[in-house]
Amino acid sequence: MRKSIYTYAIALALPVVALMTSCEPRELKAEDVLVANEDQLARELAAENVNGEYTVYNINDLIATYCVLEEGNFESEESQYRTRAIYHGDTYLFAIDTLPTDGPGIYIRGRITTDDYGGNFYKALVIQQTKDWATGADIDQQNLRISVDMGSAGGMFQRGQEIIIRCNGLALGRYANQPQLCVPSYNNNIFASSADQKVGWAPGRIPSARFRKATRLIGAPDQSKLVYDVMTLAELDTKYLSKYEDIFGARKADGRLVKITNVHFTGEYDDYGKVAQCTHYNGSDTASVGNPELDKNACTFGPTTGNVGYPQSRYVKDDGDAHKVLISTSEYAKYAFFYLPAAKYVGSIIGILSYYMDNGRYDPDGGEWSITPNDMSYILPECQTEDANPRWIPVEWKKGVPQPED
Amino acid sequence: MFVLAIGLSAMAQTSLRGRVVANNTQQPVVGAKVTLANQNISTTTNAAGEFALLYLEAMDEEVLIEADGFVPGLELINLKENESNQLDDILLEPDIVSQTESEILLNLTEEEMTDDEGRSQAQASSSSASTDVFNKTVSFGWSTARYRNRGYQSNVENYYIEGLHFNSMERGQFNYSAMGGLNDASRYKEVLNPIEATNFTFGGVGQSTNYLMGATRYAQGWKIGAAGTNRNYKARVNATYSSGLMPSGWAVAAQLAYRFSPYIDQKGIIGEGIKYYSLGYFLTAERVWDNAHLKLITFGAPTERGQNAAVTQEVYDLTGSIYYNPYWGYQDGKVRNSRIVKSFDPTVIAAFEYKIDEQQNFKVAAGYHYSWYSNSALNYFNAPDPRPDYFRNLPSYLWDGQIANPNYETSAGQLFDADGNHYPWGLFVGEDLNGNSYGDGFIGHDGNLVGPSVDEDTYNRLVDLWKARDNKTTQIDWDKIYATNYANNANDPTASARYLIERRHNDLQEATASFNYVNTQFDHLKMTLGAEGKFSQGIHYKTIDDLLGGNQWIDIDAFADRDIKELASNSGFTQEDIANVRKNEIAADYNERIADKKTRFGYDYRINMGNFKAWFQNEWNFNEVDLYYAIAFDYSSMQRSTNMLNGRAWYLTKIAEERTGANPWLYYGKNSYDRIKAAEANGTLKAGTTYVGDAHHFLDPAFKVGATYKINGRNHLKVNAIAETRAPFARDAYISQRVHDAVVSTIYTHDNAKNLKDFYAASEKLVSADLTYEFNYPIVRGRITGFFTQSWGATELNGYYDDEARTFVNQAMTGIDKRYMGVEVAAAFKLGNYFTLTPVASVGDYRYTSDALAVSSAENGMPMTQDLVTNSLVFETVDKVLLKGLKLSTGPQVNASLKLSFFHPKMWFADVTVSYHDWNYLSVAPSRRMQGLYTGTRVDGTAVNGWFGDTYANAIETTDGRAARAIVDTDPTSATYGQATYENAVLDANGVPVLRYPYNIMTMQESLAATNPLNRFIIDASVGKLIYLPNRQSLSINLSISNLTNNTHFKTGGYQQARLPRAVRQGEPDYRNSVITANAWKYPSKYYYAWGTNFFLTLTYKF
Repeated sequence: MRKSIYTYAIALALPVVALMTSCEPRELKAEDVLVANEDQLARELAAENVNGEYTVYNINDLIATYCVLEEGNFESEESQYRTRAIYHGDTYLFAIDTLPTDGPGIYIRGRITTDDYGGNFYKALVIQQTKDWATGADIDQQNLRISVDMGSAGGMFQRGQEIIIRCNGLALGRYANQPQLCVPSYNNNIFASSADQKVGWAPGRIPSARFRKATRLIGAPDQSKLVYDVMTLAELDTKYLSKYEDIFGARKADGRLVKITNVHFTGEYDDYGKVAQCTHYNGSDTASVGNPELDKNACTFGPTTGNVGYPQSRYVKDDGDAHKVLISTSEYAKYAFFYLPAAKYVGSIIGILSYYMDNGRYDPDGGEWSITPNDMSYILPECQTEDANPRWIPVEWKKGVPQPED
Repeated sequence: MFVLAIGLSAMAQTSLRGRVVANNTQQPVVGAKVTLANQNISTTTNAAGEFALLYLEAMDEEVLIEADGFVPGLELINLKENESNQLDDILLEPDIVSQTESEILLNLTEEEMTDDEGRSQAQASSSSASTDVFNKTVSFGWSTARYRNRGYQSNVENYYIEGLHFNSMERGQFNYSAMGGLNDASRYKEVLNPIEATNFTFGGVGQSTNYLMGATRYAQGWKIGAAGTNRNYKARVNATYSSGLMPSGWAVAAQLAYRFSPYIDQKGIIGEGIKYYSLGYFLTAERVWDNAHLKLITFGAPTERGQNAAVTQEVYDLTGSIYYNPYWGYQDGKVRNSRIVKSFDPTVIAAFEYKIDEQQNFKVAAGYHYSWYSNSALNYFNAPDPRPDYFRNLPSYLWDGQIANPNYETSAGQLFDADGNHYPWGLFVGEDLNGNSYGDGFIGHDGNLVGPSVDEDTYNRLVDLWKARDNKTTQIDWDKIYATNYANNANDPTASARYLIERRHNDLQEATASFNYVNTQFDHLKMTLGAEGKFSQGIHYKTIDDLLGGNQWIDIDAFADRDIKELASNSGFTQEDIANVRKNEIAADYNERIADKKTRFGYDYRINMGNFKAWFQNEWNFNEVDLYYAIAFDYSSMQRSTNMLNGRAWYLTKIAEERTGANPWLYYGKNSYDRIKAAEANGTLKAGTTYVGDAHHFLDPAFKVGATYKINGRNHLKVNAIAETRAPFARDAYISQRVHDAVVSTIYTHDNAKNLKDFYAASEKLVSADLTYEFNYPIVRGRITGFFTQSWGATELNGYYDDEARTFVNQAMTGIDKRYMGVEVAAAFKLGNYFTLTPVASVGDYRYTSDALAVSSAENGMPMTQDLVTNSLVFETVDKVLLKGLKLSTGPQVNASLKLSFFHPKMWFADVTVSYHDWNYLSVAPSRRMQGLYTGTRVDGTAVNGWFGDTYANAIETTDGRAARAIVDTDPTSATYGQATYENAVLDANGVPVLRYPYNIMTMQESLAATNPLNRFIIDASVGKLIYLPNRQSLSINLSISNLTNNTHFKTGGYQQARLPRAVRQGEPDYRNSVITANAWKYPSKYYYAWGTNFFLTLTYKF
């Protein structure tokens, strides 16, 4: 009898082992999930398009091809209702061009320059292209913003990662002529301040699932392959900042990855077209002055806007204060409540060049260029090193503790 | 009473003896109930299948023999006066239908869907009372509908094995998976109706079940079986051997059962995305002496199984399947489920019974049980939420922006175009997500509109991906998850993986013992004395299951990391202090980089629980009346100890130290607080040190009494009553047990308890009574029972993301009162020789009878709000939860069925059951029923940031069909200062203002009954055949089909999500900028559905 129990046990155990080991998926390797080479990419792209037809556009070519009408095709084609109001002279603040859904694949390809962990690029990516896809030649950087409805998108789409996006069925939207890959979205936020000026069609975020599905990761991220415009404020000014009147110049300037050198903060900000000095916090428990939770003019990078959500901006100037540019920070950034460095700290700032125009409604010629860094480590990094002299040790605002002098 | 007992032994000598034998095996049937119908006396058979009934009246008698798993038998006998009457062996036929049903029931609880916390949401009662017509019929027949006995939660039902208590002391539930697939191990049991006289334990308001596993119960020989099913597993093979009682006095029996399903790559079927492997073993040995039995039992079932989840109606509709499972995705072209439960519950039991003399016996038993239970889950840090059914990934999320408020028209005419027409929000959508038509001009009821905020193409594209069940959209995108981790490695090899599969361990070890003494020395009196003791330890920690290509996981808390700026500005902390808050272990020597599968991270704590119970019962049996009464006394304790010092506990402690009136040692316990403070001061905090929290003690008395009046042999009237208190389970006692030691405010520690009543202050108090009329005629038998139970002062915990406080909040509710009342009716009619018709019904009303008090606090120590007068931060808010009048969500409250059974002596079995279920209700989220949401002010006086009556929501319905706004008393000297009243508001039965469409969707208690009444019916059927072969061999085949009509519209349960849709009003400070929006579909309810047609086919060969 003993033997037969044993026999049955083995008879039972064999299929157990067999079944438990079969059908389990193999662990994926990097080469399984990151496109390994150009051949593989070409094969995959051909496979997902009818007749294998597709084009990988240079970013500027895509914009030139599809952003033809100043007011965008979405408005004229689909909706008798406006995209958002026109404020800047005769320029449309918002415009949307839809991209064809069917037909050959429309692709753009570039390397991600942003990182949302610091809080400045909420649901937004910027990609940078430095090679012409047709010729393979090196070219001046071309950039495109991508608006995607994905929290912590930078976790999946990391800085330095090269990606390729199938754009069919998406849209190219423009805010103040800055193009972005998006979908049309109707903003009806009646709880917004000045809601009546904000309701209407505008470029909106691409639904997360669609973006994930449309996007491939090519190779591993390599931040060393990002290309910077390294320049002084004077050079920046000459090359881009005065060029807004030229729409296409502005388009080419927006989203560039720049490194400006030899700048310092002045504690100044733009007060509806005028330069004003930020307000100092005296450590009061009750007063709001200088308290970044309550005072939008406090001397920190990104004090509150009362959840209006526009980026806060603080000027940096160059040696001799001849040129200036705004450094912009979201009030939701992790470093938003850190005090601005004093003017004695001089160094470089790395960030994304962008134009902000909503203030245009107060000043028809208003709107200003600004630079948005990924996080605080991109601000005066030279001053933050251990052997820097003077060394800038960032200080965070704290209720009841006065703002340190310098 | 004692006086009555004397000298009533007149009808002395007439007796009846006999033996009950299974016809198929010729083995004695142990534990069969033998009843004399006319004089209503019953007994059960012993290990040899023998029974003896003494002191009988001489008359013609019907002897009814019932045993679990057998077709009831009936014998007629003329009892001769003053003789020892002897029956021939009574042969019982095995009931293969009920055996299959028991097996299906055994697996039911582990097939339940579980929510994100791993909690099973809708559990069926899965034990069947062996002989009661009602219980026997409903336990299987109503299991599809998740009927629960008298509307009680599963934790009031007590489960014993050989007299040892096996409910978890942490959650109160019995873990069936321990006996996974071991249909023989669980075959024999005694089940007691609520509040009866009991013999193995004191019992309680719920049913008590005692599994009996002695080896002598099993028929000598071999049994092998195979089963096929389309449920979560697809096949089962098993083998049982039993020696029978051997000359040596020993009997041994053993079973092996293996159940399995590989991943099956098919969508829209039962068990989608689920794999299942379970190997159960059961070994029992019994030594029999003249006066004693010794039983040694061990069993366990290492199991690995995938899970599935409840989802929202939108997802069911989009995927077109009630079997959609969001937990799996394709990896390397193969199905992989992210949620794999691994469990193994090895159990050893020794039980000894000794017959001191004819009138006295005792039993002692001891058992040990270690339960390894863990489930895996995807976790992520600073990366997109990987759940395909995450609300932001669904088409309904695109409806977010389109919120129009009719009252906004006057201040901003932009909502109308030049011709006075509304702008065409949702131009391409004609109805809302509940299917309500927008009507003319797409303007919804009351002018409120919610529709897609994107263009039609964009919206439809996402809808299409869902409808087509696109692999990357509707399932886990394993490729992108791996890609993210590999990319992350390249960017920074020392960074934390963005995704991992973690394994959440909830182990439990228990040592338990019991003693039971029965004395029948006195005429008419049976005295039972029992004692039970149990030590139990819940062991909770996380380990890594799979890094998914990542190099390591860095153990910090994502919520604390996200709120770091707020946490910093709310305290006088240094930057290093703030860094501590994110840590799950603050000791500096803790290595938070985890790369191996052994290291525990996240949390590592234990809950030690002790319990001692003593009870005493007297049963008096007289000609016309039986009486019993019993008392019990229960002591229990719980104490948490942790091996990790959580940063949020540390932060909360520091905050409490700064606050006046706060209790700084609340989060560590008193002794540990001093130790930790000293170690911190000396810089000697060491990782891995064990810190023991405060012990909490509970005293719970209970008393029960009952009587049976025997109108005659065939008609009985029974009345029972019980009063008891029940200490809270650990899961409801600790506010945030993974983080800290704090308990709900009604629980005392030995330090602050002052009076005896402090030891039962937190206990739920229950009284319950039932009245039963029982009848037993040859053609019909059954019962009618009315029951009433009231409980007071229950405690319940909830955790959820709160959009008002904008962080994860723990909410402790106390003072919950509930009432359960109803009627149970069952009758079994014999229709000729072959058919039995059994109508059964249970109609109940199970509801909350009070509001509850809730204390809410942020898990990471963020303030909940700000006091508008003093500007000080408020860390705990107190408010009422408007529960009064709501129904309990413990299954359908109206149930009725009609069962037709067929049994032919040539061993054909068949039955068909038609069941109807109604009055089944959604579980309501307390966070949506807070009083402050209606009044703007909480009970503690703090202001609610965004509520139904404020200007921006305008959610209150008026009698003339408009929106009421609250009138808030602004006079600081007034007694009702800060309180809100409404003019002409429509009030519900409890005086709570009724909300307008679509706000009403957010707070109402939804009925789960199918819209079409035909879909409230479930039809089950089964057919079986037993074939006798030569040499006592037999072969049985049984096919059981549930839900024959494939009704896929039957919701068995569901719950409201806790979050409320909120928007931010710009230009306002944080503490008053929140607005409840009309987007009722943003966090909709999640539902469980009953499976469509499913079958279970068994084949058993005995030799």
